[in-house]
Amino acid sequence: MTHISVGDMAQSLILSRRNATLKDAIQNLSSEAVTGLTVDTTQRVRGDYLPLAGIEASLTQLDAYHAVTTETAIFAGQMQLALNQISDSGSTLSASLLAAASGSSPNRVDTVGFDAAQKLQAAMSNLNSRMGEHSLFAGVATNHSAVADTETMMTALDGAVAGSLSSLDVETAVNAWFDDPLGFAATVYQGGAALAPVAVSPDQKAQLDVTALDPAIVNMLKGLAMASLLQRGVLAGSDVARADLAKRAGEHLASAQMPFAELTARLGTTEAAITNAGVRNDAEKSALETARLGLIAVDPYETATKLQEAQTQLETLYSITARMSRLSLVNFL
Amino acid sequence: MSIGGTLASALSGLTASAKAAELVSSNIANATTPGYARRELQLGSRVVGSSGQGVQVVGVYRNVNLPLLGDRRLAQASSGDADARAAFFQRFETTLGTPDKAFSINGRVAAFDAALTEATSHPESEPRLTNVLSSAKALAAQLGAASKDVQSARQVANTEIATEVNQLNSALERTVKLNVQIRRNFGLGQDTAALQDQRQQLIDQISKIVPVREIQQNDGSVALYTPNGAVLLDGVAAVFGFSGGTTVTPSLTLGAGLAGLTLNGYPIATAGSHSMILGGTLGANFAVRDELGVAAQTQIDAVARDLVERFADPALDASRAPGDPGLFSDAGAAFDPLNEVGLSQRLKINAAADPDQGGALWRLRDGLGAPAAGPVGDSSLLTSLKAALNAPRDPATGGFMAGERSFSGFASDLLSSAATSHLQADGDAAYHKTKLDSFVLMEAESGVDTDQEMQSLLQVEKAYAANAKVIKTVQDMIQTLLDI
Repeated sequence: MTHISVGDMAQSLILSRRNATLKDAIQNLSSEAVTGLTVDTTQRVRGDYLPLAGIEASLTQLDAYHAVTTETAIFAGQMQLALNQISDSGSTLSASLLAAASGSSPNRVDTVGFDAAQKLQAAMSNLNSRMGEHSLFAGVATNHSAVADTETMMTALDGAVAGSLSSLDVETAVNAWFDDPLGFAATVYQGGAALAPVAVSPDQKAQLDVTALDPAIVNMLKGLAMASLLQRGVLAGSDVARADLAKRAGEHLASAQMPFAELTARLGTTEAAITNAGVRNDAEKSALETARLGLIAVDPYETATKLQEAQTQLETLYSITARMSRLSLVNFL
Repeated sequence: MSIGGTLASALSGLTASAKAAELVSSNIANATTPGYARRELQLGSRVVGSSGQGVQVVGVYRNVNLPLLGDRRLAQASSGDADARAAFFQRFETTLGTPDKAFSINGRVAAFDAALTEATSHPESEPRLTNVLSSAKALAAQLGAASKDVQSARQVANTEIATEVNQLNSALERTVKLNVQIRRNFGLGQDTAALQDQRQQLIDQISKIVPVREIQQNDGSVALYTPNGAVLLDGVAAVFGFSGGTTVTPSLTLGAGLAGLTLNGYPIATAGSHSMILGGTLGANFAVRDELGVAAQTQIDAVARDLVERFADPALDASRAPGDPGLFSDAGAAFDPLNEVGLSQRLKINAAADPDQGGALWRLRDGLGAPAAGPVGDSSLLTSLKAALNAPRDPATGGFMAGERSFSGFASDLLSSAATSHLQADGDAAYHKTKLDSFVLMEAESGVDTDQEMQSLLQVEKAYAANAKVIKTVQDMIQTLLDI
């Protein structure tokens, strides 16, 4: 006769297996409830990590771009500030030069010459502005000051204009010296070629390519230097010639304003592009973070419900285990 | 019927009851012993001359369901096989790391890319260049670590094969001895149940290593075969041979530095459909060592090669002499396409750019062959390096699907390939585990049930009391006779 019976081991096997399954589920669910992310990413993305890896890589990349845009924006802002100061001194000086030239007092020309020397000095130190150790107008040679000191430049100019007899001669000599590759570019400019474009977002580059060699800046320096020559005693003895030189310098400075404004506008455009890139990066970052969550996040309500359910099941299993272990014929014999 | 006959019948009843009680106690004692098969007493009526007289114990029946046992053993082998494969892929996937972990290969690639981006905006900054260098080193190290992990999985498989071959040989030998003992006891008509339990446990051990079919012989002994036809035991035990003890490196493969398996001195296949030992953990270990591990290494090496070649383009850095390694080198030298195996473990940063190897950091910015530092703000080379890392490129090797991808995309493909295999192997393992679980449960159900044993104990008690009563009565009857 075949007995109908169920082995003791079968019962304990079933109970212990259910117990293990439930505990495993509770562990996973509680971890999911705490982190909000799925425990089994591989299962969730069905083994295809390409989208998730792309998102993670972009997020890391955007963090890097954030650092780049912040820093580039600061550089651009500092450059803008320096250029504005130069432009301001140019226009102020232009007005006072023209006023002095039209007046009759040679003293005013001397005074304005003194003023010009100071403004030139300020402009040169503006061009040597540094942000941290990063020289702003020296191109790729960011560890060097962009220009040599004013005295070096003026001494060189003194030599260039020596022997000039008229204000026109002086103006021509000054222009020639600045335009000569062996003049300003060789003796005063200490920087290198313009900076290469820098990526500020995955698809945008910004180039802070303004150096002290920029024609608009050089043009402004020409006017300032011409006026400064007054202070160094050029055309001494001829008040008329000196007044005319002041006039020419004033006119030169006035005409230099326009290209200079274009330069600052160009820099402003770059600045705006950097800011835009930053905004774009932030937008992309939050979009990517949402997409990332979409890939690996779990629904907290669902997780909580499942956790509750598993807990109830485990408690039921415990009471069943307790009851079943009491159910034995041995206890009744 | 004589009084003596009655007495003899009652005595046989007592003996049978005692034997039954003994079996009940043995069953209850072994209620939780694995491999113990429930015993049942087989009774028959005793015949003396031509008439029946009393009861006799015909034998002890060992309650075991042989087809179920066979199925369970095969399921156990398959489950062990699938588990070992799944464990390998899980390990491979973990060592590559999911992209959200910073230590993953993808994480390292992203960090390297980000370091390059930051360096382009501030190429004169030493911390930024150091960051480029250290993230490049970390990436190379991560590829090396992944490869080492794969090799260590192969090494473990190799060691396990040696252990399993030893276990298999010794279990087969002991099974032969038990066979002999059982055959002798069987011939003498003695109880063989305990010996059979032992033999069943031994064969269970064997069936984890290789799948086993058990054939019962008439004399109580068994013969063992694998489903693919290897004779494990038929009278004499087969002897497997394997020489382990090798240190596994990427360049060692089966037949080229790594030993195969012999059966009775003859080499047998350890892979492919005609292999006779596939289907258990032994086959899985061979697969990990010779197929899965080798394929994984090939893939990692292909990724390493892609990384090296991206930065080896002569147009990238004009300062480098032709034939010199790029940013990543093969142990300091230029990469040779004929020497790709194990490249991932030999990846090194070009010494010219690494201060730890006597190089200079500024070479990252100014060119690996640059004799002196250039303008500190020049970011053009760094920008090109970043472009090279992200340029779409067709992988040359590794068996990946053709198509251009960035390095980061290639690294994700490597991970996805591992993850997909892991998922598949996991599904397979879960299927076999469920199958095994249900067989184990069915086996357990036919095991000892204490309630049932207690019930039969009640019967035994009753029978014993009744037989004793008969003897008492016979005694009374004899007394009556003597009193006459």
